[in-house]
Amino acid sequence: MATVVIMPKQGQSVESCIITEWNKKKGDQVTKGEVLFAYETDKASFEEEAPVDGILLELFYEAGDEVPVLTNVCVIGAAGESVDAYRSGGVAPKKEDNPEPAVITEKAEQQVINTVNPGTGTGAISPRARILADKEGILTAGLSGTGPRGRIIEQDIQAVIASNPKTTPLAKKIAGQEQLQPASIGSGLGGSVTAKDLTSPNPVYNNDFEIKKLSNIRKMIAKAMHSSLQNSAQLTHHLGADARRMLELRRKVKKANDNGYPVNITLNDMVCFAVVKALRKFPQANAHFLGDSVKYFSKIHLGVAVDTDRGLMVPAIRNADDLSIQGLSNQMREVAASCRKGAVNPELLSSEAASFTVSNLGNYGVEMFTPVINLPQVGILGVNTIVPRPKDLGDGVYGFVPFIGLSLTYDHQALDGGEATRFLKQIAIEIENLEFEL
Amino acid sequence: MPKVQFIDPRVARQAGEITFTPIPVNQYKKTITEEKANFSDADFLRIYHDMVVIREFETMLNLIKTTGEYSGTPYDHPGPAHLSAGQEAAAVGMAYTLTVEDFIFGSHRSHGEILAKGLSAIQKLNDAELMQIMESFFDGTILKIVSKDFKGTTKQLGRRFLLYGTLAEIFARETGFNKGLGGSMHAFFTPFGVYPNNAIVGGSGDISVGAALYKKINRKPGMVVANIGDASMACGPVWEGLSFAAMDQFKELWEGDMKGGLPVIFNVMNNQYGMGGQTCGETMGYGKVARIGAGVNPEQMHAERVDGYNPLAVIDAYRRKRQVIEEKNGPVLLEVLTYRYSGHSPSDASSYRSKEEVEAWQAQDSIASFGNSLIEAKVTTQASLDAIWADIKSVMLEMFKLSINDNISPRMDIHKHPEQIGEMIFSNQSVVSMDDQRIPEVNHPMAENARVIQISKKERFAFDADGKPFSKMKQYQLRDGIFDAIVDRFYKDPTLVAYGEENRDWGGAFAVYRGLTEALPYHRLFNSPISEASIIGTAIGYAMCGGRVIPEIMYCDFLGRCGDEVFNQLPKWQAMSGNVLKMPVVIRVSVGSKYGAQHSQDWTSLVAHIPGLKVVFPVTPYDAKGLMNSALQGTDPVIFFESQRIYDIGEQFHKGGVPEGYYEIPFGEPDVKREGSDVTILTIGATLYRALEAAKILEEKYGLSAEVIDGMSLVPFNYEKVIASVKKTGRILISGDANSRGSFLNELARNITELAFDYLDAPPVVVGSRNWITPAYELEKAFFPQPEWFIDAIHEKIVPLKGHVSSQNFSDPEQIRRAKQGV
Repeated sequence: MATVVIMPKQGQSVESCIITEWNKKKGDQVTKGEVLFAYETDKASFEEEAPVDGILLELFYEAGDEVPVLTNVCVIGAAGESVDAYRSGGVAPKKEDNPEPAVITEKAEQQVINTVNPGTGTGAISPRARILADKEGILTAGLSGTGPRGRIIEQDIQAVIASNPKTTPLAKKIAGQEQLQPASIGSGLGGSVTAKDLTSPNPVYNNDFEIKKLSNIRKMIAKAMHSSLQNSAQLTHHLGADARRMLELRRKVKKANDNGYPVNITLNDMVCFAVVKALRKFPQANAHFLGDSVKYFSKIHLGVAVDTDRGLMVPAIRNADDLSIQGLSNQMREVAASCRKGAVNPELLSSEAASFTVSNLGNYGVEMFTPVINLPQVGILGVNTIVPRPKDLGDGVYGFVPFIGLSLTYDHQALDGGEATRFLKQIAIEIENLEFEL
Repeated sequence: MPKVQFIDPRVARQAGEITFTPIPVNQYKKTITEEKANFSDADFLRIYHDMVVIREFETMLNLIKTTGEYSGTPYDHPGPAHLSAGQEAAAVGMAYTLTVEDFIFGSHRSHGEILAKGLSAIQKLNDAELMQIMESFFDGTILKIVSKDFKGTTKQLGRRFLLYGTLAEIFARETGFNKGLGGSMHAFFTPFGVYPNNAIVGGSGDISVGAALYKKINRKPGMVVANIGDASMACGPVWEGLSFAAMDQFKELWEGDMKGGLPVIFNVMNNQYGMGGQTCGETMGYGKVARIGAGVNPEQMHAERVDGYNPLAVIDAYRRKRQVIEEKNGPVLLEVLTYRYSGHSPSDASSYRSKEEVEAWQAQDSIASFGNSLIEAKVTTQASLDAIWADIKSVMLEMFKLSINDNISPRMDIHKHPEQIGEMIFSNQSVVSMDDQRIPEVNHPMAENARVIQISKKERFAFDADGKPFSKMKQYQLRDGIFDAIVDRFYKDPTLVAYGEENRDWGGAFAVYRGLTEALPYHRLFNSPISEASIIGTAIGYAMCGGRVIPEIMYCDFLGRCGDEVFNQLPKWQAMSGNVLKMPVVIRVSVGSKYGAQHSQDWTSLVAHIPGLKVVFPVTPYDAKGLMNSALQGTDPVIFFESQRIYDIGEQFHKGGVPEGYYEIPFGEPDVKREGSDVTILTIGATLYRALEAAKILEEKYGLSAEVIDGMSLVPFNYEKVIASVKKTGRILISGDANSRGSFLNELARNITELAFDYLDAPPVVVGSRNWITPAYELEKAFFPQPEWFIDAIHEKIVPLKGHVSSQNFSDPEQIRRAKQGV
């Protein structure tokens, strides 16, 4: 036999309630204790739970309807059961045009005393709870408070903290700042929630888009990139370097590695090493353009672009000109790893920390691009993939030779086209004549 | 009350009649020639001179107020000026015979009296004494100003000093006698025996009696003159002052050299108007003020009316009345008939009197007629009198110019020193004895006092080692803590006196003073009339002169009876005097219960509202003793509240019980009586014990740990401890027995909200008494905060408690409804 759910009478003076939200729709399977709908009186909000298991056979009212108390609201039963017996004769619920204001009488007093029962949230939150929620990165929207009139109070936030998985401090911070909510099980150690487990709480289903707030790092990158293009006169020269020497050295390194040589010197390491050498000869490229002056560095601090999950980072290898290629290689690996872990010294990430930057997209098969300068540096070298190109091998013989593409973006405010070209050519020369001992 | 006085019914019921002796009216009839025996020519001229000084001073102020200039020098004086032109003979006559040690008190219209008494003192001081006073006053600030480029005599310098100090005070200059904080209606200069004037009509009527009390009890030379107006004779506090001054006990019960009447003369300056109300014929029924003396005591207060238009008549009266005072037959009532020419104030158009009337009095002008009679008696010539006028006008203009010169006479720089006035509200001194030269008069060594011995045998902590309470009789009670501190001070400070209703013999209505009667002579502990204005008013006068005093208000509800004294006088005089005066007055106020609407009110909020009062309300024996010690060590007025609910309570908090020795608890430090973590309850007064009961219920029934803080002080109040607690708990409930509307509890709530907003998990909740009359004891539980009210309020406003059913309605709609109804 079907079970009818009626609108409860919440207190002596309450004559009707408004259904604020249906959590179930007609035909849904419901389990005893699940919330069917939420409703409110003029003083508080409540939820009505399914009294039995079964199928929600019929809803007599919709969200927004004002329902007289003790009136049938919906029916739960077995599939195919009739609900006609529970319809109130097809008569629409009577709506009062002028609901009487609650008269405060002895009776009302009795009722009012019991209205502090927690209801669904009104959004009100105590200052203490708000600050705790911010600190712990807890979203309060939609949270039901247990304070007076549904106010969210400290104990509600404490309850969320207790029920949430462990959250890393960074995730807490980001969640708080960006109003993201943590996954129920995180991807970190022991299921702890890390920053990447945070998602927007957008409750709307089936949207074909999602609006996410920018992360702080994204905001910073956006600002830096935009400012770079706005505040400098940058242009890019492209040039290829014969990569045969480099590939030869790479083969040697691999072989040596197989025999236990500890340093895996990559093509990128070699390019960077060549860049350092070229910069020694072109100090005007190893500089910061400061508007009315240029700061020439006596040392070379090489910035290397590192792609991380959190976004682009460009840490500086300080005093790269003091390093052997092995040293350079080791340092580059270390710094990239600490960037990916988020443990890099923030001072090294500042664009002032590097005197010149290398950005390598060769791995991804990029043949040509226009890197954006990290101001106030005067240049950045983009490193492209290696492609075979016909080359005059002498005596009118042409053969396909591997060439590595080099894209130098420079600030025309600081460098002229001629010297930029000569500098780029020098990098190519260094690459083509690279030498080091293993 | 005293057993030595037997009230014999046979005598009391005997038939008979009350007889009066005739009261003299304007009986002085001597001529100048006859008075030559008593006055030298110089004396006569000095009288004339002093009157002219007053006339010119008041004329100057009148011109400034009405024309914006004096002798061609423009000035705007926006403040008050209640002038006494016309009354000069009365003022000079009053002051002429007074010694420097004689004190005068005044009214709002007392410029003339200040000048007359000041000039009289200057005349009587020798040059060295006068210089010493001028040099030491405010480090010689005024003297430097008036002596610059001045070559005359010391007495002339004194006159400049007096005129300048008074004028600068009237013009609110920091170089005034009271740093410009007193102004026209409150100016005074104690080194010349000029005590405060008073802007409240009749304000000096009881304060001056306290000054006389001080002189008598501390055997100080001189007498006190209360200059009050004819219209003030209707004021309750004036009557109370008269009654207090005329108490039989001074002559009947006080012992040895203390036997005898108070050295006070009520000098009623009868200018025949109270503002516009004509006291003879319209607003009073006495006809002549002197009649009142007949109603006060059998001596009829030695009352008489003298002609205040003739300075010699007034001087004559004072010579005779001084004799009465010296024979310890005070108090004296003297009506000095006079007339003021100007209106009540410059805004008064004198619409209540005819031009003919004013002209008729001006036709008999006291200065002109006295001058003419001097010429007739060949004491002087018109030329000499003209010279006096010229000299005074010249010095007046010079002092006026000095006093309005912003460089020489700046006002307080409240931009540079924004807290300067705030720093003057309290004197905050720590003084063991107000007179360390004398040994306190007592009847036996303190150790021999029966009460002291009894207390020494008591249990100083309420519980035994097993936590079981000792019997009430055995416990060292709250009343013992108060007694301990007071008896100790009586043995340290010879100036300390205590009085109020039933203070002697009975031992105070609540037995705090039991045993004190045996320890102290009558003049240090005595019963006052049941008239609170006189109890507090005289205490103010007593303290103003340098004594320490504990007046008692038996029920807090009686504070209304001394409203002016507690609200207007006691808190104001330290700052209004420019910190010249100290006010070591500790008013014990007992808060009742059980006795209905007029004997059960907690009015702590009323006094806490008034700047200049320190307000404490200890509710444990340890706190009561420590705070009373601090109160009696201090120099500021303290309203010391006690609760009749708990006079017998033992010490439940302080580890080791109440110490036997002397210790002080600083004012303003709340005390955590119970530590907790979930909700803070801050209480004022005896509500503490109900809060502790509530804390127990919260813990046992709802698992909430309550921290209970006893506010102890209202003014001052250190919020730091409370804020620290709120940071911990996030929640606070504030309670006291005052009815909640306008209560100090709301002040606490507001400050806590501001200071700890970000830490609050709910608004601070105030649980006070209902805004009703206090009902009968049997119904009190519906009126005063009860333990369950705390739970209800927490449930409704702070955190809903599972399963709690409220007994009181703390809901928002109910709060609004009550406010709408005004209940």
